[in-house]
Amino acid sequence: MSGRDRIFARVRSALAGRDRTELPESFGEWRLKSPPVSPVEGFQALFESAGGEVVRVSDRAGAATWIARFSTDFPSVIFGEHVPAELKPDLPSVTPEVAALGLSMARGAVAETGSLLMDARDGRRAQLLAPTHVVVLDAAAVYASLREALISLKDDLPSAIGFHSGPSKSADIGQIMVRGVHGPGRVIALVIDESVIVQDHKEGIS
Amino acid sequence: MSRVNPGAYRAASARTIQNEPGVRDSVGSATRTFDANRVRAFGQIDSERWRDWARDVKTHALTNLDRYLEEAEMRLLANGAHVHWAESADDALRVLADVVARHDIRSAVKGKSMLTEELGVNDHLEQLGVRVRETDLGEYIIQLLGEPPSHIVGPAIHKSLDDCRRLFHAHLGTAPDATPETLAAAARDALRQDFLAADLGISGGNFLAADTGTVALIENEGNIRLSTSLPRVHVAFVGIEKIVPRLEDLSGLLQLTARAATGQPIGNFVSLIQGPKTNEEVDGPEEVHVVLVDNGRTELLADDVAWEALRCVRCGACLNICPVYRQTGGHAYGWTYSGPIGAIIAPGMLGLAKALPLPHASSLCGACVDVCPVRIPIPDLLLHWREQAVEEGLTTTAETIGLKAFTALAERPDAFSAAGALLRWTPWSAAGRSLPILGGWLQERSAPHPSQKSFRRLWEEGIE
Repeated sequence: MSGRDRIFARVRSALAGRDRTELPESFGEWRLKSPPVSPVEGFQALFESAGGEVVRVSDRAGAATWIARFSTDFPSVIFGEHVPAELKPDLPSVTPEVAALGLSMARGAVAETGSLLMDARDGRRAQLLAPTHVVVLDAAAVYASLREALISLKDDLPSAIGFHSGPSKSADIGQIMVRGVHGPGRVIALVIDESVIVQDHKEGIS
Repeated sequence: MSRVNPGAYRAASARTIQNEPGVRDSVGSATRTFDANRVRAFGQIDSERWRDWARDVKTHALTNLDRYLEEAEMRLLANGAHVHWAESADDALRVLADVVARHDIRSAVKGKSMLTEELGVNDHLEQLGVRVRETDLGEYIIQLLGEPPSHIVGPAIHKSLDDCRRLFHAHLGTAPDATPETLAAAARDALRQDFLAADLGISGGNFLAADTGTVALIENEGNIRLSTSLPRVHVAFVGIEKIVPRLEDLSGLLQLTARAATGQPIGNFVSLIQGPKTNEEVDGPEEVHVVLVDNGRTELLADDVAWEALRCVRCGACLNICPVYRQTGGHAYGWTYSGPIGAIIAPGMLGLAKALPLPHASSLCGACVDVCPVRIPIPDLLLHWREQAVEEGLTTTAETIGLKAFTALAERPDAFSAAGALLRWTPWSAAGRSLPILGGWLQERSAPHPSQKSFRRLWEEGIE
């Protein structure tokens, strides 16, 4: 009898005679007591309160312009695998270990938790190693609830998904919150939202 | 693991209070902050309904554990992960030793995991000649100090900023008055080299979703994401009770765990790990091993009352609110899991004789059950283990003699009322000082004056 079999035997013997309870409905709609007006608004509010930054542009051209301007402060960049050529700024592309800036594509986002969904297929190092991380997000891919997001992921799971809900932080030293402990200390969600009319792309950078 | 010693709880907690007064200050301040954040975060949601739901999901998973374990194993294998079963800590460490030998592992990075503490993973790796680095900032601090964690969520909450300044000054050469930001940056730089050099990443697992074979991990720093993404091999140790039926069940559990633990809507970083890097991916580990660990969990499951403790999601909320835990922090409990949750799982997992007196390390005030996100009836389970201890004859001689004497007295009304009179007329403030224990207590306190008449007498005379 293997260790596996002995564990199963002990589990079954422990459960013998015990009621096997029903599985409850998967939790319907998560509702904060004060729900946001729209998924994007909800995502933005929570992501910002966790220390993340949100910039909203109305189309890809606007995103490209914003990235080009923002990236002038950085000496080097690492791109996620799925970043389209039109969004790539004219910056030396280096290995993720030494890049000053990471630019990735989000698979989606979650309003109720303020999370970006990062797919391993876009490249994990690009998502984690640079001190500043810019993540491009399509507003249409923002799910109201975490439950909806998880159900949408189910049919197409890579080796890993990361939810990034703000900059890396820790209060382990004397219970004082500090940012950028291991992962990026600055995270900017660049939301492409056709419903937004933004003319001056410098807004929100501050 | 060598540090298991709950039996010394009373002496250890007395020592902490007497010799390390700073611990009570740091632990008290951190736990009050954690709890205030939880209160605020629970206030933003219908927490009663959510806790009912979370209880029901975990109860269902536990009462169908065999079925879901089989499903999870099948899914993980289909995802390309290796699945191992460990009945004991030794089994789990053997799996690790095999991986180390097969891949010629020289260095490892580890994300925060209470299970790996329980198993003694670090000591074992060092015996195998592997350099292992704790990468959670709190775990890093206590690894440098050579201490075990003192809290499930904040392993170093018993240390103050000044303690950390001294430690980092000695190890990393930071200034003696460095800011927390400077200290964290120094740790980041040191640990970044470890991340990039490591051949092996080690993690625990907060949840295991059966239908997708997903190991879910919660953290704030990003060190778990790095530990499970950079090294070529990842080994995840997951307790068999961590299973949930469906991936979407994580929706409620991830949020509730974070709200209960730190008051956040969700952990800053959550990893959902299915298996090794696929052909479509540019990075990630080439091998993922999931070690499913029993190590006493099936013993706890077999207890018809205490099995409910296996619902625990390790949020630490019961520690944060516990007036007993707050006095000493976790080290006094003499085991990986401290506080109220430690006191109810230790007897099941270690055996009651070994776990005593932990079920007595509580005033039974019930604050813990009010905050538990999965509604574990902690005070009931503490009483359950106390009753078991009496039934198994595990009580101390003094307690047994004392109770026998009381029984004898209570069965004889005349003797009982004579003894009552004697106690009422004893001048405690004077006489008490010469008695053991009571003498110490009376050094800084005055004894209350007993009523001049017994309750029975007052009753007979008519109580208004």
